[in-house]
Amino acid sequence: MVDEIRSKAKELLTDGTVECVIGYERATDGVTARPLFAYTAEEIDRFIMDNTCVHNLARYLLDRKGKPTAVVVKPCDSRTINLLVQENQIERDKVFAIGVTCPGVVEAHWGEASDEAQPRCVTCSLEVPAVYDYLVTMPGERQTRTGFPDLERMETMSPEERREFWERQFERCIRCHACRQVCPGCYCPICFVDQLDPTWVGIRNAPPENQVWHLIRAFHLAGRCIECGECQRVCPVGIPLMLLNQKLAAEVEGMFDFRPGLDAETLPPFAVFKKEELEAER
Amino acid sequence: MSRFLSREALLAWLDGLREGGTVVVAPTLVEGVSLYRQVPVASEIDLDASVTVVSPKEWLFPASHTIFTVERKDGRVDLRENTFDGRAVLFGLHPCDALGVHLMDVPFLAEPADGSYRERRERTALVGLSCIRCRPECFCTSVDTSPDDPTHLDVMLTLVEGGYVVAAASDKGEALLASAKPEEKALSLPEPPAPEKLPTEDLPRLFRALYDDGYWGRLADRCIHCNICSYVCPTCYCFDMRDYPRGNTAERVQSWESCQAPGFTRLAGGHDTRGSKAAKMRQRFAHKFLYFPETFDSQLSCSGCGRCVRACPVNIDIREIISDLKKIGVSSVGSGEK
Ligand code: SF4
Ligand code: SF4
Ligand code: SF4
Ligand code: SF4
Ligand code: SF4
Repeated sequence: MVDEIRSKAKELLTDGTVECVIGYERATDGVTARPLFAYTAEEIDRFIMDNTCVHNLARYLLDRKGKPTAVVVKPCDSRTINLLVQENQIERDKVFAIGVTCPGVVEAHWGEASDEAQPRCVTCSLEVPAVYDYLVTMPGERQTRTGFPDLERMETMSPEERREFWERQFERCIRCHACRQVCPGCYCPICFVDQLDPTWVGIRNAPPENQVWHLIRAFHLAGRCIECGECQRVCPVGIPLMLLNQKLAAEVEGMFDFRPGLDAETLPPFAVFKKEELEAER
Repeated sequence: MSRFLSREALLAWLDGLREGGTVVVAPTLVEGVSLYRQVPVASEIDLDASVTVVSPKEWLFPASHTIFTVERKDGRVDLRENTFDGRAVLFGLHPCDALGVHLMDVPFLAEPADGSYRERRERTALVGLSCIRCRPECFCTSVDTSPDDPTHLDVMLTLVEGGYVVAAASDKGEALLASAKPEEKALSLPEPPAPEKLPTEDLPRLFRALYDDGYWGRLADRCIHCNICSYVCPTCYCFDMRDYPRGNTAERVQSWESCQAPGFTRLAGGHDTRGSKAAKMRQRFAHKFLYFPETFDSQLSCSGCGRCVRACPVNIDIREIISDLKKIGVSSVGSGEK
């Protein structure tokens, strides 16, 4: 399967379709994967593809605006392309998507790749990328969609318990903003946390500021989060951010029957206004 | 003969210090994450912690910290410094983290010293734990320390059967041990592990020669500039300051900042001296292997703890960078041997 990716990638470089192919290579721990920007055929030979390839490489398209680029995408990652095309961040014809069908990826952190599927994979409903220009099949037993078990557990907690739970989580946030940096939907030229005038939220690492940071981050991604799970994967102190994202995704899906990034045509609920919504409000 | 403290005697000593008013800051598991925290009781210390996720700099140089408060009242302005007048023990530092503290001391204690840092530093004793195992990402022996090195510590503990061999490494440490009740025992210390050795000799010169190399841009391709490496690092000390005005008072707050953050080097007028991804990426390593040694007596500003290697979400590996610089440098600028 990786041979198919390599030969397609070489073809794209050689015929000048793209200048760079973004794929995966083995990391220095010998176990996990890391992104590889390949500009030459020799570099392409380092590509790998397996269930440790967790990163959402489509996020890097934001760094390569206007430059013809091919990118290896799993189904969840592929939604990024639709999201970013729809939000006028990238041009579809500058992107060549090498889609990979996906049986699910595992929890992989420095030095260890477990057998455990990532939470996003357990709840993922896509087996084939939502958008691709070339498709390869990653072998493996497919995970089945089991709803949102963690979320369902949260729903049984009282508001008081939930508040206590989140206060405990946010307490250890070091406000590195890595969850924002990795996110394909977080591309504001100046993020609200970095704005000086007006100061929406201070730089202090303390409960009130941390809560504001987390709530606005999550809300700004409601109806836009494509559930790639990257924010939770990168968080150095293990804050379960996907619980917030999935809660909001479920609310948006329930209210508007919409999940972002599945196609590039359906307009997101926050970008359209329907007269009936006003009626419903009354 | 060595001085020996059983596990229980060690915890009792720490609890004794704590009851006497000393703050004990040590590795604990916070929701499963290994972090330095002030512990309410010594039994909460994770004695088996290897390298914590975030470094112990959190105590001496907090993630955020009020420097002073000013208040306008009855026609006058009062300025109150936020002082620390207690005593603290920073417990469980591995030798790399002790070197990390030293590498923070270098800029912060150089005159004019950073008042808040100096105050905490002077009032804190460093109790270390020598390493009986090392992790694959450890490289302390390449940067001027080693798994059993007591330099920069006040007390050094070494794990042996049933407890710890304890040794004072400074007068401050000897004084701290006055309340410990060690037994005298004939014990031999375990053989320390041997971390990977990297080609760090001549690094600043190589770095200077490769300053404008295309290497940095290629490395930066996959960096998401997420700040994690700086925030977990024991030797990254950049910070930001903001004032928090509220009615008649204002607080001046210091918080960690990173060279990878947007706007870190943006100047008035909008110019950014480290605007490209490549220049940003290079900055972190240039600080450690070029600017710092050029400014402070040839010391590299890295403790070899490997935290950034473990935590980087896209595997930007400082060990690989050191080896790469050596490789590219030798082929393009010569070996440096006279
Ligand atoms: S919020 Fe998290 S899961 Fe959602 S798109 Fe951003 S990084 Fe991916
Ligand atoms: S990545 Fe984790 S620690 Fe960093 S800002 Fe996000 S939630 Fe906080
Ligand atoms: S780097 Fe050295 S001192 Fe630090 S944990 Fe590893 S072996 Fe111990
Ligand atoms: S942790 Fe890695 S990705 Fe994040 S800023 Fe540092 S080098 Fe870049
Ligand atoms: S640069 Fe990396 S290895 Fe060096 S002290 Fe900082 S975190 Fe540790």
